[in-house]
Amino acid sequence: MPSAEPAVGRARSAAVVGLTALEVSIEVSMSAGLPSFSVIGTVGAAARQAADRVRAALTATGVRLPPRKILASFAPADVPTAGASFDLPLAVAVLVRLGVLPASLAEDTAFLGELGLDGGVRPVPAVLPAARCIADAGVGRLFVSGANAAEAALIGGLQVVPVSTVADVIDVCTGARRAAAIPEPPPAPAAAVPDMRDVRGQAEARRALEIAAAGGHHMLLLGPPGCGKSMLASRLPGLLPALDDRRALELAAVRSVAGLLSGSGHAALDRRPPLRRPHHATTAAALLGGGSGVALPGEISLAHHGVLFLDELFEWPRRLLDALREPVEEGVVRIARARATVTYPAVFQLVCAANPCPCGGAGTCECSDADVWAYRRRLSGPLADRVDLAPRLTPLLADDLVGAPAGESTAVIAARVAAARAMAAVRWGGCNARATPADVRATADPAALRTLGRAVEDGVLSGRGFDRALRVARTCADLDRCPTVQRGHVFEALAHRAGLRDTGREISVARSAMAPGQVR
Amino acid sequence: MTVPAPAWRTAALRLAVGNVDVTRQQRALSDLLERGQDCGPEQVVAALERHGGCPDADVRRVQRRMAALGARFVLVGDVQYPAPLATAWPELGAPLWLFAAGGPVRLVTTPAVAIVGTRRPTLDGLRTARTLATALARAGVVVVSGLARGIDQEAHRAALDAGGDTIAVLGTGFGVDYPGGSATLRAAIADHGALLTELAPGAGPRPWQFLARNRIISGLAAATVVVEGGPTSGALQTARLAAGQGRDVWAVPGSINAQNSQAPLALLRDGASLLTSVDDLLDSLALSRSCAAGVTGAAADGGTPPTALSADARLILGLLGAVPATTDELVAASRLPAHAAMVAIGELVEAGCGVTTPSGVVRA
Repeated sequence: MPSAEPAVGRARSAAVVGLTALEVSIEVSMSAGLPSFSVIGTVGAAARQAADRVRAALTATGVRLPPRKILASFAPADVPTAGASFDLPLAVAVLVRLGVLPASLAEDTAFLGELGLDGGVRPVPAVLPAARCIADAGVGRLFVSGANAAEAALIGGLQVVPVSTVADVIDVCTGARRAAAIPEPPPAPAAAVPDMRDVRGQAEARRALEIAAAGGHHMLLLGPPGCGKSMLASRLPGLLPALDDRRALELAAVRSVAGLLSGSGHAALDRRPPLRRPHHATTAAALLGGGSGVALPGEISLAHHGVLFLDELFEWPRRLLDALREPVEEGVVRIARARATVTYPAVFQLVCAANPCPCGGAGTCECSDADVWAYRRRLSGPLADRVDLAPRLTPLLADDLVGAPAGESTAVIAARVAAARAMAAVRWGGCNARATPADVRATADPAALRTLGRAVEDGVLSGRGFDRALRVARTCADLDRCPTVQRGHVFEALAHRAGLRDTGREISVARSAMAPGQVR
Repeated sequence: MTVPAPAWRTAALRLAVGNVDVTRQQRALSDLLERGQDCGPEQVVAALERHGGCPDADVRRVQRRMAALGARFVLVGDVQYPAPLATAWPELGAPLWLFAAGGPVRLVTTPAVAIVGTRRPTLDGLRTARTLATALARAGVVVVSGLARGIDQEAHRAALDAGGDTIAVLGTGFGVDYPGGSATLRAAIADHGALLTELAPGAGPRPWQFLARNRIISGLAAATVVVEGGPTSGALQTARLAAGQGRDVWAVPGSINAQNSQAPLALLRDGASLLTSVDDLLDSLALSRSCAAGVTGAAADGGTPPTALSADARLILGLLGAVPATTDELVAASRLPAHAAMVAIGELVEAGCGVTTPSGVVRA
């Protein structure tokens, strides 16, 4: 064991603010004075209490702290360090100062972990972004709890050392024992991926779902209770292509910060697009991201590169739906809190579900057409011009459930979706829903554009709806393997919007006749 | 008949202001009839006064209010009392008095037709009401209805839009905003027709008043047309009252599967005349047929789909009717793939052959 005691013990770690990680150096000095152990820096409550945990953990490990004034400093001092992930580096810095561990440790090794009073090393959230920052800083080795090891190992070029106690750390660092292998993570639970084959009937909704998957369009499912809206929505992620490395890592980082990865510890990146289905009683903080000090990611960021399903859209407070508009447009959400303003990615596909009419639409509906249009307008108000497909689901009869042939399977549809997405990717490197209007128009047949233009003149489409409908038509063309958007594709796109708002001359006549002040 | 003397006129107004309702009028009438006495309006008023009357009614205040509202008090036998309604006096339920606002409503030479129906119409029902009212107004017929939301208001509006006259019989007194939001329409009707009610100014909406009001609608009109209504629709009652008053009853047929067809279908079963086009009605009123193109709506130009339609669109068009069909139903019936069916639906809507409603597509 090295005997020379350096004046200052140092250990490296990383602090995560939002998705951004910053390198943090922890320094420990001991001086004459009343025996104490204090932590300075911009630290949160958990980090302030680190001193007590470290003292207990080291005592349990058999290292006695000398009765001196111990000062620990987190540098740089202005990085907000919250949480207990600095327990382990702090303990290491103390051990370096005491000469138990070599001072050279700070050169190529970093530490992340919470300590138990018994000296055990526990997993912490946000290891993935922290590990990436540590690797980027040129550090070669990272000590984490065994439960965090698989997550940290997602970053290539970093030797991840799983440890379970402070004693392990001492043994490995002093060469007394070889580093343990990263524990084999438990096999990912074979999540039953719901298959489209289970969906009977619902021809319109099936087609709309395929288009949504192929083009990345937002959709609104309209149907009475119990007709299978959630069933369909839960099958959309299965139709989407698997996430590539970049996307899977982005999602993993969000999950890591939210603390969802440390428990599961699947080694392989989860490439399945996520499905999040927050309840309508969710708070703004839980939906968009929030929390005191530094905001944590919300449901919309956990749905990054996946599907956000809002059931019972009519029950959602208007305030929350309005708040969704910016993330839907920009693909990110910015949240300011006392300690930091963080930006989380939120590129998700929106699937909303609602009853088709005010009475719920079950059985014999007696709602008048005017009532239903008013309801739909209120429904789509906050998200109007963002939802492009509004299939109507029909309640299933017993015959349909038993006798109807099974529909196409997810695999068959996903293959068509992948082919269509590939066409879009070749054209503009992304999905159709995010293509620019000019680009889409350039691929459309003049007759198709004329048809859309007439729809706007007739009041079937708003001016803004023109390009949104054209994007859907573009996706229909891609599914058709057709390089140009034809009139037929526009017709289909318009039919998919029919449930959304007043379409058709008759309705505008009826409405103008109903509006007061238009008698003469 | 002579012009009523001011003394019993004031007494009648006092009774009206005191909310002497149709039941008490009928009772007083039947007393007189049983005793074989003369039952002119004067005698009925006297009988009502004998049966308690309404000595407390503040006639002055109401007269001031009527002046402010531009309302007149009209009694049976007055020159201004509508002639068709007067023929329903006394046994057939004509009201003893009316409050009137707007133009004269003698209806001596101009026939009137009532168009009534549900407050919750389908698009098709609204269109039917508009088509009928437009044709009637152009033929010089006064369109009578009850100002309720839905079919009633659409009939009034269409008559006004066609430059015709229309009479709205209210279930409330004047000076009450009912149905809410109808103020503009009421003003337009007062300008180009008339508003009638048997209730004193300020009388609020009460359910029985609307049922009682229906006998005035049917009594004003030579014929009553029921456009749409559920099995318990008030339009059913109006039609039955019309039949009781010896007036024609017409019903617009609909699918047996549609809730709003139940009232007209029940009437047809009971012997109402089947309305296949507005010309049926005009013929029966011995008026010239509607010659204006487009007035008869779909029936005139239906049947021959434009040849420019694709085969799929023609297939789907053949499946469309007045009852909304959902995309799923059309897919199942046509055996087309979902996307092909939706292309066809989009094509039909664009060509004006189909109309999208919230619950599906209907034939235009």
